[in-house]
Amino acid sequence: MESNGYKYEDTTEATELNSKQLRHLAWRSLLLQASFNYERMQAAGWLYSILPGLRHIHKDKKDLSKSMKDHMEFFNTHPFLVTFIMGIILAMEQKKEDREAIRGIKVATMGPLGGIGDAMFFLTLLPITASIGASLAVEGNVLGPFVFLIMFNVIHFGVRFGLMGYGYRTGVKAIAKLKEGTKHVSRAASIVGLTVVGGLIATYVSFNIDYAWVSGEAELNVQTDILDQIMPALLPLAYTLLVYWLLKKGRSPIALIGLTVVVGLLGSFLGVM
Amino acid sequence: MFVEAILIALWAGIIGIDLYNGLTHIHRPLVTGLVVGLILGDVTTGLIVGGTLELIWMGMVPLAGAQPPNVVIGGVIGTAFGIIAGQDPNVAVGVAIPFAVAVQGLITLFFTIFAPVMHKADKFALDANYKGIERINYLGLVILFFFNAIIAFLPIYFGAQSAANLVESVPEWIINGLSIAGGIMPAIGFAMLLRIMMKVEYVMFFIVGFVLAAYLEMPILAIALIGLAIALYDFNQNKNKQGPAPREEEITDGI
Repeated sequence: MESNGYKYEDTTEATELNSKQLRHLAWRSLLLQASFNYERMQAAGWLYSILPGLRHIHKDKKDLSKSMKDHMEFFNTHPFLVTFIMGIILAMEQKKEDREAIRGIKVATMGPLGGIGDAMFFLTLLPITASIGASLAVEGNVLGPFVFLIMFNVIHFGVRFGLMGYGYRTGVKAIAKLKEGTKHVSRAASIVGLTVVGGLIATYVSFNIDYAWVSGEAELNVQTDILDQIMPALLPLAYTLLVYWLLKKGRSPIALIGLTVVVGLLGSFLGVM
Repeated sequence: MFVEAILIALWAGIIGIDLYNGLTHIHRPLVTGLVVGLILGDVTTGLIVGGTLELIWMGMVPLAGAQPPNVVIGGVIGTAFGIIAGQDPNVAVGVAIPFAVAVQGLITLFFTIFAPVMHKADKFALDANYKGIERINYLGLVILFFFNAIIAFLPIYFGAQSAANLVESVPEWIINGLSIAGGIMPAIGFAMLLRIMMKVEYVMFFIVGFVLAAYLEMPILAIALIGLAIALYDFNQNKNKQGPAPREEEITDGI
């Protein structure tokens, strides 16, 4: 809840993570969604994945505590491509970058990588490899599952481990260039981050009214004829801002999750959603 | 049947974890067909039913938080029922789908109930207690394992058909309502991000991002690139001024 930038107790740059440490972190990233929930999504799993790296970097307990606290904030991305973000963020942590810049880069990268990952793996790689395997299996060929698993995972693990090192080296290099003016970097990162969050709300919050007034010939669909005419994604935006306002009022996220469940059940019961 | 049901439950527990963690995709019906076939002593039928279920679930992938019918329980119950009852693969599908939809509703509930645990995690983070953070993640895995194992065990042990009737007796509006709530749920996370990041001078960028997605239906990557272009322009403007850090930086909205 700091309004001014956090000052590190220990501002010296940490030693670089070696490739064995990076591999260890990539293995841990397999548990990214172990504690998945609707309040923070992958946050605790994300912290779990980078934790040995943070402990290597922040020898000062207060710095470590601050960094861990920050990484408990909402996080959600594609579970294969997450290692790229891990690499970049650890490079920034190691250089003791401004905490707001770290947050901004994290938020700015998670959305696009989530979309790219879905398209690459769940909409492309999975259907291709699974349909090859399934076509063998439906003929009773026992090789089907193995063909699928090998093809899928060679690419999966190649990407996961490859991006870890790539993200880290990219991060270290990029930060060296941007060393001056971290405040400007934070501001730039926040700009990208908030642009992305605006887009994420319209894209990923799914809140529609499924109800139509019928009087004789005329039919008026609430969603397409009224709400979408006022503004597309009106309800996702309105609901997110309502939650934002309630959070600022001090309502707990748990209560708001409960509220959302009630809204869904009520909408379904009344048959309007 | 007890030993077989236990073995299938073990498998369901393991792949229930793989669905969210590891993601080696051993949880796909294609693989489950082989394993359940081995357990029940009919590999060929297992492969055929598993392959059929695979093709049905192919289009149902977890995209950005929207949850398709649960592929783990669908695959396990579907193949087991196909082999035990000697049914046509398509009938097995008919039994598997109601289960899979109901289980996904339960998983939505689990993801909701697990949220308060994050406040414990916050406390561990504040104390730099890394063991505590690790334990919370392992706890999630253990719950996922038993959740899937128990749900797979019961219908196989007591008969899939009677269990399917039970599932169908749950009012549809409840399952439907949970799925609607699951679709709205990302709003909470985004609102929390806004609470952390939003400052008055950033509101315009938030509006730009929203408009690009809502009206122009641009993909997130394109929006991020536009955000990046704005940020680079802003960055260079500030750098050229060579002044001290922008003063507005200190005005924080809310936090």
